[in-house]
Amino acid sequence: MTLASTTAAAASIPRSRLWGIGRYYVDDTPVDFEIGWDDWERDTAWARAMLADHGIGPGSGLVIVGGMPESPWFDPFETAARELGAPYSIGEVYPFEAFRTGMYVHRLPITMIFGINRAIAEALGDELADVVAQVGVIVARPDAHPVLQDAGARPFTVTRIGPALAVECPDRAGAHLNGAEWIVTEEDGRLFITSAGSRAHRASRAALGIRGSVSAGPCGCGRTGQRVTVSPSQGV
Amino acid sequence: MPDDRYFEREIETMPRTRLASLQEERILDLVPYVYERSSLVRKAWEQAKVKPADINSLADFTERAPFITKDDIRRFRDQAGDPFGGLLCTDYADVTTVFSTSGTTGDATFYGHAWDRWHPFWAATARDLWGIGVRPGDYVLGSGFKMRGQLYHADQMCGAIPVLVDTGIGGWATALDAIRRYRPAYAQLTGLAMVELDHLSRHNDMNELFSCFKGAAFAGEPLGARMREQLKRWGVEVYMWTSAGDVTGAFECGQHDGCHAWEDTVLLEAIDPSGTAAVADGELGELVATSLDNPITPMVRFRSDDIIRMTRQPCGCGRTHARFWPVGRKGDETIVAGRSFVPMDIWRALEAVPETATALFQLVRPAREIDELRVRVGYDPDMTTSVAEVRDRVCEAISAAVGVQPVLELLPEPELLARGRGGKLPRVVKA
Repeated sequence: MTLASTTAAAASIPRSRLWGIGRYYVDDTPVDFEIGWDDWERDTAWARAMLADHGIGPGSGLVIVGGMPESPWFDPFETAARELGAPYSIGEVYPFEAFRTGMYVHRLPITMIFGINRAIAEALGDELADVVAQVGVIVARPDAHPVLQDAGARPFTVTRIGPALAVECPDRAGAHLNGAEWIVTEEDGRLFITSAGSRAHRASRAALGIRGSVSAGPCGCGRTGQRVTVSPSQGV
Repeated sequence: MPDDRYFEREIETMPRTRLASLQEERILDLVPYVYERSSLVRKAWEQAKVKPADINSLADFTERAPFITKDDIRRFRDQAGDPFGGLLCTDYADVTTVFSTSGTTGDATFYGHAWDRWHPFWAATARDLWGIGVRPGDYVLGSGFKMRGQLYHADQMCGAIPVLVDTGIGGWATALDAIRRYRPAYAQLTGLAMVELDHLSRHNDMNELFSCFKGAAFAGEPLGARMREQLKRWGVEVYMWTSAGDVTGAFECGQHDGCHAWEDTVLLEAIDPSGTAAVADGELGELVATSLDNPITPMVRFRSDDIIRMTRQPCGCGRTHARFWPVGRKGDETIVAGRSFVPMDIWRALEAVPETATALFQLVRPAREIDELRVRVGYDPDMTTSVAEVRDRVCEAISAAVGVQPVLELLPEPELLARGRGGKLPRVVKA
């Protein structure tokens, strides 16, 4: 079959040095970061655990709202959904694509929306209340929280922290960072990031242009690493 | 193993007799499988009084198997409350991804896949990218939209490194910076991207920027003559690609002589648009697709509404799989006051007016036959000093092209761009 033959052909040539290259912005200045294949595998393992904590498993339907350039952050969650046996769909982040997120929720047995942003939440308009009522778990960008709360949701947080992604667990005690990979420090309310693992992208106290706070200590979910909180105006 | 020309030489250059045998084998497996599992297909076959036992060859299939249209899928979906419109052949839990058609020409429909490592929709695209020249270690600029999934899988399958910067709406100014930095070999372009690049070309040396490119693919809508000329001036070799009936992608090769449909993954037919008979090679026909490698939501003789010309003659590149040339959408022909035209006629007219040369427009058409020609047109606000004066010239250009005076709604380009979906602007809308 075609998939089998092309997969075999791909396996016969050298794998690229990197999984890919991503880009985030600090005060409008682009910062590029490399993602190695090992990085991607570890990010996926962490994503799998985070999704499983939210009850995602075989047959759970997800809508993952993330644009193509956000793939360095969101692909591990897509891959994790696949590995968990959870069918997923992708909603774009542009307002004119909001209909797609709404359509998936209305037509499929969706149990989680992951990554919804303010643009999509607002563009859903009157439909948002129905979407919120139908989906058990909404993990949203900080800027979407006020809109979702007005529609009756109690969203969890997912937010990009420079090259990292922070995700809240069901205990609602701040968004977890993968502590094996990243360390975030706070100085006068400003966040800085340092790479902790053997990542392709090395960062040492790199400014993120984000204001927020960091907490540590055990969480009810059993994780012991850092958790971050950013305001709705800061998170992406 | 990939060689200097082909990702899968044996398959891509397979003699047509062997290709037909392979297709027959897959069709004979598919028919009982799908009849047993797909509610929509079974319903269509029962109505046509055709049973799997009646299909014993590829010829039987193309003579007797009933067609399915997108409206059939929508109707079944709405009547049966089945999100997949009766196409799903497995449990929902067995599906890995559910994506949807762009929705530019109507209500979007779903298609599902099951997969482990590479998304099946893009797996065969690795052959096309390899043919364009994408090689291990190359950087490739990521595409602008993800609604059809991880297109970068095809890059990674070729050993290339996707540079995932914003190439969606409003992202190209910063994407140019990534081109300078990584010197990518390849990128995906859309009409909406071309609008941005057109503006950016006023302040950037596009020839220098694109000099690293082995090629760029363009999809989503026709490439207007002006855009094509502009890309040529920038030194970009453009490879058109399109969807083969929502089953897989079909790309041009370096011969630029039709889009290759990988016939080990799709059975392609060109059928009389107003009938059921196959048309001869090179004649206008409607693209009809049958999935040969999707056990989740296989299309079976799906009438795509895409009007094409197709040939099964071998290509100059050495590949033997069928090629086709998209011509337009069935039903795009519009009649105003007894005069007939297609959207490309308006496209060409707008390209001749500098302020609307990006040809961003929508034909507002509640029905195929209309009394009044209403066109929504985007103009470049940076180039426009008098909207009224632009209106006069646009009216004159459209009137000359189609023989009817239009009623115009002029909007600044960004406002019209915001009405795009899935990387393209619907060219024919009801309101």
